[in-house]
Amino acid sequence: MSILKKKSFGWYVLLVSAIVAVVGLVQFSSWAPDHSATDTVITVALILGIAIDLVTIWKDLDILVVASTACYMVGCVRIVTDNVGSFVDAYQGIVMFGDATQVGTIISIAVVMGVAAVLSAVSGFLPREKA
Amino acid sequence: MKHSKLWTGLSSVVAILLVVSILATQCMLGYSATINDMLGITTSEIVSNGDSDEDTTYYESAYGELNYDNLQLLIADTYSHAVTEEEEGAVLLKNEDNALPLSSDELRVTLFGHAVVQPLYRIAAAGSKGYQGEYNIDLYTALTNAGFAINDTLWDAYENSDVSRSTGGSSIFGDGTDWSMGEVDISFYTDDLRSSWEDDYNDVAIVMFAREGAEGSDLYVEDPSGISQLALHQEEKDLMEMLQSYKEQGVFDKIIVLVNSGWAMELGWLDEYDVDACLWIGLPGQRGFEGVANLLIGEANPSGKLQDTYAVDSTSAPAVVNAGYNDQTWTNIDEVDAGTSDDLEDLAYYTVQAESIYIGYKYYETRYEDAVMGQGNADSTVGSSNGGAWNYTGEVTFPYGYGLSYTTFEQTLDSVVIDGEDITVTVTVTNTGTVAGKSVVQVYAQTPYGTYEKTNLVEKSAIQLLDFGKTDMLEPGESQTLEIVCDKYLLASYDYTNVKGYIISEGDYYISIGDDAHDALNNVLAAKGYTSANGMVAVDGSATDGNAAKTYRWTEEFDATTYSTSEYTGAVVTNQFDECDLNYWIEDAVVYLSRNDWEGTYPTEATQVAATEEMMEVLDGEYYEKADDALSVSDITQGDNQGIPLAAMIGLDYDDPEWETYLNQFTIEELASLLQDSSGTAEIASVGVPAILIGDGPDGIDKTFSNYGDDRSACCYPCELILSSTFNRDLMYERGELLGEEYLYTGATEAWMPGVDLHRTPFGGRNAEYYSEDANVSYLCAIPVVEAFQTKGINAGPKHVAGNDQETHRTGVSTFFNEQAFREGSLRGVEGGVAAAGATLLMHGYNRLGMKWCSASIELCTYVIEDEWGFVGKQISDCIAPGYTYFLHFASSLEAGCDCYCLDFAGLSPASVVAQIEETDDGDLLNLLRDAAHDDLYIAANSALMNGYSADSTIVSVTPWWQPTMYAIIAVCAVLEVLCLAMMLRKNLKKNPDKEA
Repeated sequence: MSILKKKSFGWYVLLVSAIVAVVGLVQFSSWAPDHSATDTVITVALILGIAIDLVTIWKDLDILVVASTACYMVGCVRIVTDNVGSFVDAYQGIVMFGDATQVGTIISIAVVMGVAAVLSAVSGFLPREKA
Repeated sequence: MKHSKLWTGLSSVVAILLVVSILATQCMLGYSATINDMLGITTSEIVSNGDSDEDTTYYESAYGELNYDNLQLLIADTYSHAVTEEEEGAVLLKNEDNALPLSSDELRVTLFGHAVVQPLYRIAAAGSKGYQGEYNIDLYTALTNAGFAINDTLWDAYENSDVSRSTGGSSIFGDGTDWSMGEVDISFYTDDLRSSWEDDYNDVAIVMFAREGAEGSDLYVEDPSGISQLALHQEEKDLMEMLQSYKEQGVFDKIIVLVNSGWAMELGWLDEYDVDACLWIGLPGQRGFEGVANLLIGEANPSGKLQDTYAVDSTSAPAVVNAGYNDQTWTNIDEVDAGTSDDLEDLAYYTVQAESIYIGYKYYETRYEDAVMGQGNADSTVGSSNGGAWNYTGEVTFPYGYGLSYTTFEQTLDSVVIDGEDITVTVTVTNTGTVAGKSVVQVYAQTPYGTYEKTNLVEKSAIQLLDFGKTDMLEPGESQTLEIVCDKYLLASYDYTNVKGYIISEGDYYISIGDDAHDALNNVLAAKGYTSANGMVAVDGSATDGNAAKTYRWTEEFDATTYSTSEYTGAVVTNQFDECDLNYWIEDAVVYLSRNDWEGTYPTEATQVAATEEMMEVLDGEYYEKADDALSVSDITQGDNQGIPLAAMIGLDYDDPEWETYLNQFTIEELASLLQDSSGTAEIASVGVPAILIGDGPDGIDKTFSNYGDDRSACCYPCELILSSTFNRDLMYERGELLGEEYLYTGATEAWMPGVDLHRTPFGGRNAEYYSEDANVSYLCAIPVVEAFQTKGINAGPKHVAGNDQETHRTGVSTFFNEQAFREGSLRGVEGGVAAAGATLLMHGYNRLGMKWCSASIELCTYVIEDEWGFVGKQISDCIAPGYTYFLHFASSLEAGCDCYCLDFAGLSPASVVAQIEETDDGDLLNLLRDAAHDDLYIAANSALMNGYSADSTIVSVTPWWQPTMYAIIAVCAVLEVLCLAMMLRKNLKKNPDKEA
């Protein structure tokens, strides 16, 4: 608890970003296998980002914040680029390249991961430990 | 400390940009061909090194030099042609008391039905997007331009309503349960709205209903409303009741219904709601509504005829019980999962064509004849729509070939002359009405169904379209004599059990002309001595005796010789698809519908079976095995570059030895690169192969004219079904020519068109972009389109070959049939485009024939298409971008005869084949790869791709501008990231020299 007493607002923003990333990871992990969308890069990136954020509990380094931001963003963009076919199908109203019915879910997961990345980036601007 | 974390934050922000730019670039490179296509970028260019005066325009545009001004002339012609197609293809189904055309004092109208503001211009599938944007003419504009005054109050209300029609394929936020028919509830019509037509705009109520399928989405046999998607739905019934009530009150003088559908909607309700006139308009594309307006006011006279039977109940078609959403999964699906290695989803489904040849009118009319003749238990209750004894009037609303005109015609069968393979039918047509019009001459035939046929399971349709013709515009009283030369080959039947080839049956043959299939059959029945006393009825259910004078009878002896060999190559024509008959694998698994016993053979339940172990082996898709005596890779010359470009191969025969020398120049990787289609194939500069661009869409190209300064999309013509409904070969030929001209302007030299699949059921998701429920019509219509198109040097690619007659589970569905049904059905349409017209390209179906993927069926790709039909050209798979596992047996499909893999963005095919060749030292597989490249390059060398290209030219690769741009963005982001990180570290070190970053 003494460690947490030293933390300031910026660190809590980072903590929220990690929690949001966990939500994204759970969403992705429960959705992807049923839709042939499993991507270890996304899974590893999110786990890595969350782990890095946890490290900041004990070791608050700026470079870690940058790294976790990048990790979350990899998940956010990758889920979209992995599923371009579904967006094409949705745009054209066809069933061919992907699964148009999943576009809503894909967007929602990507948004969650994107929010994690943005929160992480915001925390980078803020002091995370009390002076 | 102020801004102490500025550089940390900036580093994070730039990290976001860096990740986005890297992953976006990676993704864009994967879709580079598509992006280049969108941006109008060609990745190769020709550099001339020789005589600049050499004429290298091998295929010329009829409009002269390719430039902006001539393009405008072409565009104007395409738009004009689209209007004509609609005028001649729309079908007038009802016209009580000459309700149409409307007079000049009947033009203050109210448009009803939400479809008026959400019309279906074309189906959701690859093709022209010309219906989107400023060059589209919608219904409102077309009618207004034609002089109509439209009730804007209701129009605006529809436009502002929340209702929207959807397809299964376009549902993006769920599992399809948000699917909507797209019609407003009756409560939508408030008193305010009602007053808008009670007070004015009430000359005529024009109602438009739409039905919509899509690529990948069949229409529902039972939709979320619990009824067929083709039936009239409650909201529509309520609307019709309301309009009927207004008509009874004298508010509206007339009710006119427009059917905006590429699928045969159930229309038995027209009389019930006192509809005055009904016009089927299909899917009109971007200009067709102008034609519709012209038809409504009599500027044009309808002359189209139905290409589908309009059943009272669409589910009465015997194919429905096994097709589309009624396809099945193996009853031992868990065992199949355990016994196969491909993904279960790719091999779990199957459909059985238990209906045999009896698709569309071939069912309804044949059963009718047997009911009249009192044979085959035709009048049993099995298959009856109303549960009583089967009777024609209770089953068919409008027969195949039906269509009215604003005038009347008399057709006289002058003569029939049979000379070898030609049956010349001469018909005189006289306009007996009061306005000018065109008349379609439909030539039908009946072939004998006797003891031999019954014994050997050779099924016969009681009537079949043999050919057709169309008159010029005939003024009242004017006559024209048409001489229609029919191909006797189309009278042969495929005997898959005994002769194992085509036969001419022994017995009496009839040629008959008629206003539609039913009328023609009644004429045949009359010639056979039947009358109304036997139950003969006309289309409207009234008693009829037919007209024997419109028939010609002759006799043939049994002949199993004439068509035992291919007319195209001389190869023996025999069974190739025994394994596609489910009974081959499982005894008596399927009972095929036979007119010998309608009651005992009409399919009432889907065929359900368990896959055997032998079947699972086939399902698994791995057929290629390296031969024990296979050549080594080193036995085959590679990379022997002698500087011969592709242009040097122009005009050489396919078998010219120079091709071997040319192909010896390629490395394995270069050969394999031609397997990968990405809306075209990439250039191979070292051997002078330019990039090849491919276009898609039976009803218009999926491209713009941006290369010539006009960014608009190529013309979106009326749907292919409208074109076939014109029964006008000249229009079909002109469509082919215009499409070819448009291709010259887009730069694409290969095309995935026309659609030649069959309307196996009225629910097929892409019926609108296929010609007909009658395979002979697909055969006949594909010929002029393909022939005309290829005169422009563009390779036409009929699709989807073959048996791809449903969208549900189209990726991998096992399709079972008997060989008679397949050869006289699905295969016949392909034969027209590929064998008779000489298409040089074709696209396979996603489905399986039996249990083999079309692209991996050597029986289809090699034994029939190449050996029987003499096809020389490129066979391409359907789109493999989704990466389903059954696509991935590339050596097997290559061996079968597949030359290229459509939309292989990820490069799966070249990577796999190269790896297999090198890892197994398989020279035989390398030779298959060379054969595929040979097919590909042969048609390229003889196409418009070579325009501007001579043997003295060289091909230079062009890097698309967006690629260095993306790399530059990555570099800038990377540099900024490094700077930000450096500043962050510096700041941290300054703040606390002892701390790390």
